[in-house]
Amino acid sequence: MSEPVRIQIEDFSLDAENAALKASSQRIGGIATFLGCARDFSEGHNVSEISFEAYGSMALTEMRTLREEAIARFGLLDARIVHRVATVKAGDNIVLIVAGAEHRAAAFDACRWMIDELKQRVPIWKKEITPQGDAWVTPHP
Amino acid sequence: MIRVLFFGPVASRVQTHEMQFDYTAGMTLHDIIHKVGMQHPGALSIVSFIAVNQIQVRDKQTPLNDNDEIALMAKFSGG
Repeated sequence: MSEPVRIQIEDFSLDAENAALKASSQRIGGIATFLGCARDFSEGHNVSEISFEAYGSMALTEMRTLREEAIARFGLLDARIVHRVATVKAGDNIVLIVAGAEHRAAAFDACRWMIDELKQRVPIWKKEITPQGDAWVTPHP
Repeated sequence: MIRVLFFGPVASRVQTHEMQFDYTAGMTLHDIIHKVGMQHPGALSIVSFIAVNQIQVRDKQTPLNDNDEIALMAKFSGG
């Protein structure tokens, strides 16, 4: 079974990640997922590709800490976080958060919390490649 | 030797992903930041986070040890 927290170039499978989460406990009654994907339009301009760069070792450590904190804070039975660091095109997958709990409320809350925290705490940067040139993205609130 | 790492927008400004500086006893984080700033004036204005050995630090007077790894980072934009 793959690691529950990963940074990888290649795409991921929602089915495989959900299956891995479900296999971790038969007490799971609700699974919430957040899938972040690449848009072809941002801040008023067309986007051809998005390129990601990470401080890999620190990012992975922070993502593992984030998962452990979410499990403790929301009483999750399991959670998985996968982030791609690659050059992606519109529609491609970027990040997947999966949270499994006994009931839906904890799963939804934890999923939202993890993606919000990831954006604040994990050292990954994105650069939008547009017909007008390249630009590093200023974080959204 | 102190390794200073740059990523994303900061790396673009300093036009490299890594610099190395000789370690001297008593050296602080501030000393390294100053050295980088001298080589690339203005490049550090977008630095929002600093890590020493992959742990975020806020105190620029943090003492350094030989072989420390410092990262000067802009605001994160993953996800």
